[in-house]
Amino acid sequence: MCEARDFAALLEDSAEDLYDHAPCGYLSTLLDGVIVKVNATLLGWLGYERDDLVGKRRFAELLTVGGRIYHETHFAPLLRMQGELGGVALELVGADGSRLPVLVTSTVKTGADGAAQLIRTTIFDARDRRAYEQELLHARREADRERDRVQRLTRTLQRSLLPSVLPEVPGMEVAAYYHPASIDQVGGDFYDLFPLAGGTWGFFLGDVSGKGSEAAVVTSLTRYTLRAAAVYDPDPIAVLRHLNTVLNQEYHGTDPRYCTVIHGSLVPDADGFTVTLATGGHPPALLIQADGTAAFLDAPGGQLVGALPDPRFTSVDHHLGPGETLLLYTDGLTEARVKGRTRHTEDQLREFVGTLGPTTAPALISALAGLLAGFGDGVDDDTALLALSIPHAGVDRP
Amino acid sequence: MNHDFTAAVKSTTTGAVLEFAGELDADTAPEALEVVQRVKLTHGQQLVVNLAGLTFCDSSGISTLIAARNLAVAAAAGIALVAVPQQLARSLALIGLNGFFPVFPTLEEADEAWAALPED
Repeated sequence: MCEARDFAALLEDSAEDLYDHAPCGYLSTLLDGVIVKVNATLLGWLGYERDDLVGKRRFAELLTVGGRIYHETHFAPLLRMQGELGGVALELVGADGSRLPVLVTSTVKTGADGAAQLIRTTIFDARDRRAYEQELLHARREADRERDRVQRLTRTLQRSLLPSVLPEVPGMEVAAYYHPASIDQVGGDFYDLFPLAGGTWGFFLGDVSGKGSEAAVVTSLTRYTLRAAAVYDPDPIAVLRHLNTVLNQEYHGTDPRYCTVIHGSLVPDADGFTVTLATGGHPPALLIQADGTAAFLDAPGGQLVGALPDPRFTSVDHHLGPGETLLLYTDGLTEARVKGRTRHTEDQLREFVGTLGPTTAPALISALAGLLAGFGDGVDDDTALLALSIPHAGVDRP
Repeated sequence: MNHDFTAAVKSTTTGAVLEFAGELDADTAPEALEVVQRVKLTHGQQLVVNLAGLTFCDSSGISTLIAARNLAVAAAAGIALVAVPQQLARSLALIGLNGFFPVFPTLEEADEAWAALPED
């Protein structure tokens, strides 16, 4: 009985004590902001005596200049409108000019007649939270910098795997396009067009299995092997055999890596070029005839390069004449995940190209670039395109 | 990233059964390859790769299948693919690998075909 009374007395006492020494700041102001009551906790944080503030200063005067503007334009009007406002981050300025990040919650106290009488404000010390936010911000900036660095590196590496500009081939228009699926990862698509002895040319386009830096190593090896092999023996099937030997020696067992590639040679004649294409497991080249008809120039049965010790490669010859365009592409174009899993097939590509009518290498590449842009995020593989066309007689012929 | 990919291997009386389910692509191929490397085969056995639950397979996935075949060939064992999804069959055909892997609709048929082979 006696203990209970003591305990009640302790509670009685502590109501005022709780107000003054609560673990948060309390502040009451008149509607014009003049401070009428403040607890010891807040006075302690700010380094003021009670007499410095009560009846003399407005709440807004305890804020930083930026905070005062925010208070004037947002805080006070919202509080008047809603009657309460919570969790607003502000900075208080102490007697010595030091800043204290706080979270402020205010409510308007109304009388029996419903008229506003004063404003009660609770203030929480937000130094820990602010420090945490600064840490987060710092970590995020660091991550952003790191990402930029990776993307720069990726672009540089990607450029080293593709020709910076295609050479000018007399009597032929050429155009190429490369669309990276990701700005963070080097893709596995490659192409090139280069001069060989006696006015002939070599070209190739392909796709290495896998993604990222390991695929880039294979891409680099493939590109340089193809160029060197074509100088040694320009026959496209011989070039693919050479590449297969190199890749298969390097990658076999439980780390097989392969590429699919079309390698071609170009031998000029009176009205165009004789094209020989050898395919190593790559989707067939598309031929757009002078009347705009599109058909595959297929060499069926060619197998992938690098994974098998003795693969089969096949070739096809075609005389590329005036008005004709040859298109090589990687499966980023035909395998694009359009709307989820529905895929664009080779036949759909042929149909699309068939709707364009007679075309040229640059016009075809620009139409296909537009098609790819339309896929948007549906393109999850990188895409390389290479087109060769013969201008009509009398046009652009030197 | 595809988190729904699973790879498992179990030994059987005739060899081993590998199971790939979900999306087998550049992200998940390393996990698949780890499982492939756990396969134990001896001369005359067969490695059956069950692809019934495979929803997608790209070039990295095909590399994994070739790795499994290389492992079987090195052990003088056979390999068969079971329940090859249409998309993968099409990809295999495009790269000239139709007929490269023996293919069966069910595990039972793969086992029967293997049992029917003459002993060497």
